[in-house]
Formats: sequence, structure tokens, C-alpha cells
Amino acid sequence: MTHLAYLDAGSGSLIVQAVVGGVAGAAVAAKLYWRRLVARFRRQPTDRS
Amino acid sequence: MAVSDADARVEPGSFRDPGNRVFHRRGEVLRGLDERSTRDWRALAASDFFRNLLAAGKVCGTEELLPTPVDLPWATVLRHERIPFVSHPYEWSYGMLRDAALLHLEVLRSAVTAGFTTKDGSAYNLQWRGATPVFIDVGSFEPARDGEPWAGYRQFCQTLLYPLLLQAHLGLDFQPWLRARIDGIEPEQMRRIFSGARRLRPGVLTHVHLHGAMQDHHAHASTSDVRAQLRAAGYSRELVLATVRGLEKLVRRLDVRPGESHWSDYQRTCAYSVPDRRAKEDFVDRAAEVTVPGLALDLGANDGRYARIAARHADHVVAVEQDPTVVDALYRVLRDERERRILPLVMDLADPSPGGGWRGVERAGFADRARADLVLALALVHHLAIGRNVPLAEVLDQFAGLTAPGGTLVVEFVHPEDPMARRLLANKPDGLFPDYRREAFERLLVARGRIVRRVELPSGTRTLYQVVTGG
Repeated sequence: MTHLAYLDAGSGSLIVQAVVGGVAGAAVAAKLYWRRLVARFRRQPTDRS
Repeated sequence: MAVSDADARVEPGSFRDPGNRVFHRRGEVLRGLDERSTRDWRALAASDFFRNLLAAGKVCGTEELLPTPVDLPWATVLRHERIPFVSHPYEWSYGMLRDAALLHLEVLRSAVTAGFTTKDGSAYNLQWRGATPVFIDVGSFEPARDGEPWAGYRQFCQTLLYPLLLQAHLGLDFQPWLRARIDGIEPEQMRRIFSGARRLRPGVLTHVHLHGAMQDHHAHASTSDVRAQLRAAGYSRELVLATVRGLEKLVRRLDVRPGESHWSDYQRTCAYSVPDRRAKEDFVDRAAEVTVPGLALDLGANDGRYARIAARHADHVVAVEQDPTVVDALYRVLRDERERRILPLVMDLADPSPGGGWRGVERAGFADRARADLVLALALVHHLAIGRNVPLAEVLDQFAGLTAPGGTLVVEFVHPEDPMARRLLANKPDGLFPDYRREAFERLLVARGRIVRRVELPSGTRTLYQVVTGG
């Protein structure tokens, strides 16, 4: 279920919390960006077709 | 959701979260909850952490009205403890804002540890009982969802952390920034202020620059997508706790005292003789004793000497002073004494807090909040009338407006021959204030109330009046 708060938390303000959360947080941020990157490459063939 | 009951008055500052709303009815502060907020409340009320925070006085007193009033359009109604005097963050001193931030983080840490969170992170979630902060936004608690960062982080930065950074690192008074912007200072503005080597100051690189850059970079990503991605990448409650602990550590480090100012030594240098001071203290004490005020206001409070005398007889005292440094020094003393009845506030009486936010009523102006049973205006009239050119009649109108009908005003008139008045007059052209005379002052006083006591101080250049306002 998607649950949205009444307050717009700000996408950047959510991600930066991973980065300021120490080594473990930085690992989460790195994983997030890696997954985004991989998703972009995976999408490309289908985008072309 | 509207409040339909004719007796109920909606709190204009409580509308941002549609799930719950504060309103006033028959002298009580109530909070209506919709169905979903009711479920959150039930979970909260059953939790140990909330009970502990209530018992420690860190969250404002809250109980459910049972049975639920049927004449109100809410699934549940809570009754809150009444805060003696509602103040706004731009009326607090640096130490007050810092302690408020620390309390917010402590409350959040307790909540997160217990599987809850707060929906927001605003400085307006906090109020004061005297010199002790209290978290008031009980509607902000909700059960946390796994894998989600704190939704209130941006608001915390904008309304608490950034103002602290401005003052601690650059010595800028934060109050005008918060007064001008209800949502606080944006990361983008902070990045411009903290450029160059200033980036290296504690907390700036991450919470200001990285935060601002991330906001720019992800401006088009929806928060629900980002939440899902963070959850999938393994974001956990431990990381929320790490962020909160990091913020606590940073805010604790920002322990600076605003520098000395002209007013910080005023009591010592303002040329009061000991007999004058004793006579004045006695006058204030007797006025407070016969008034027995619920709320007393000390305008131009300086080091709080007379606020303390008023507090011998009053339930609550608000000590208003324009100099943030002086207020901060007073706050620190009161805090260390665990004083819960004297609230020090930063405000220039020639420029008091206006109404702010939505339609100018979301944050009530000072004149709309202050109706005191006792108002002290000591060594103040000459600063407003001569120093700031405010006509005497208007100075007294302001004092009378802050006094409840039938309340007591204690006002000191410093004669034009007094050394302090002469010093102020010396900065203005000769003859600019022909009406600044004792007789004219008394005539204006009589038009606004009944003079019940008048004492000339031994120096012979100052007169104290006790006036019952409104006839």
C-alpha cells in the first residue's frame, strides 16, 4: 500500500538522510543509485522496440 | 473537516494535517481526530514511550474525552493541557531554539525506538511552560513504516537546524529569518550564505550543501517512488536512529552564546540608585500582590528582575525584551533554575510580532495573544516615546491594549530632566517632543484608566503609577 504523508517530505530530503546516516546509510544510497542505473540500461532495449 | 459546534473555535494555526485539528471550546483546548488518526492515537496511547514522555512533562498533557462528544464531527476528541502563553520560534532566544530542537529530537528518538515516528519536524511543534520546552503536536505521532526515512527532516532543517547554524557559525540573529518565512529557510538560500570556506563548518556540508544538491537533483522524483526505492535498497529503522543521533550530536555542538550587547549590562549601568531600586521593587511587589494576576507581562524586562517579583504573585509571567542576547542570558538562568512560570521572549515593542502565515492568522500577532491581568512597563516609555518617536498617547494605547479590561498597568514615567531621558533627548532636535512632560502623561493615563497609586522615586526624576485600566 502506498502511504503518503500530509507533508511533502521532499525526495532529495529523503535520500540525503541515507547519506548522512553513516557508512550503512551511504551503502543504502549507493545501492539505490546502482539499482537506478541498472534499471535504466535494462529499460533501453524495450524502449527502442 | 469543519467544526460545526457554535461554541467551538478552530485554532487557525492547525490545518496543515487534515487528519486532526485543534480547536477551543469553553476554555478547553481540544483536538479532533478522524478515523485514521484515531487508529494512530489508540496505538500511541497504548505505548510505553508516550506514557513516559507524558509523565516526564516532555509532551503536553493529553487525555481522550470519553464518551466522545456526539455534537462534534470527529471520531475521537482529545483534551490538551493549556499552554500558559503561546509563543513563536522567532520570539525565542538562541538557547531556547536549541533546547527546543534537542527536545524535538529526543521525542523523535523515543518514538522511533518504539516503532513510531513524527509526521513532521517543525519548530512550531514546540511550546514553553516557563523556561521549559514541551512538545505539543500529539497529532504528529504515527506508527512508523519500515524502510522509510523521517518525513520531518526537511522541516526540521528549515525551521530549527538552519536558524541555529546561522547564529552559531555566522553570528546572525535568526529571529528575522523565521519571522519572515513560516516554512523556515530553504537549503538553496543557505547554500549561498554558506559558500567558500564556510562549507567546512560543522553540519554545513551535509545538511546544507548535500541536502540542497539532492533536492535539485531529485526535484522531479515523487516521494512515493523514492520511498519505495529506499525501502528496496535496505533503508532501516537503525538508519533513522543514526540520522536522529547525528542531528542531536550536531545541535549539542552548536552551544554558543550570542555576544555581549549594549543592553546586557543595562541594570548595572543604567544609573539607578539603591533607594530608587528598592522603592521600585516594593511598588511592583505591592501591585502584583493586590492584582494576583493569572498572566503578567513584563515589557522591556531586561534581566528579569521585576518579572521575578511579579512571579511571586502571578501564575505565569511573560518577560518581553528586545535584545536577543539579554533574553538568552535570562533564559539560561531561568532554565538552570528549572523555572516553569517565567517565559522570556525576544520582541521589539516598537515592532511587535505581526500575524503570520495563511491569511495572517496562522500565527497570531503579539497583540492578539497578550491580554494580561498585570502589565509592567518600567523604564520603557522614554525609549519608545523619545528613542523611537512614538507619540505618548500611542505608547499608552499599546500598554492598555495588552492589559485585560479591569487589569492593572504599572508604568514608570522618566521625567525629561532624568539623566537617561536627557541622554536620549540629546540625540534628537531641541523641542521635538514638547508633550513629553509629566502632566501631559498623567492626563493621557487618566483617559485610559484610574490611577490608584503614584510614587515618586527618591531620585525625584521618575514617577511610578499603578493604573486600573478601563475606568
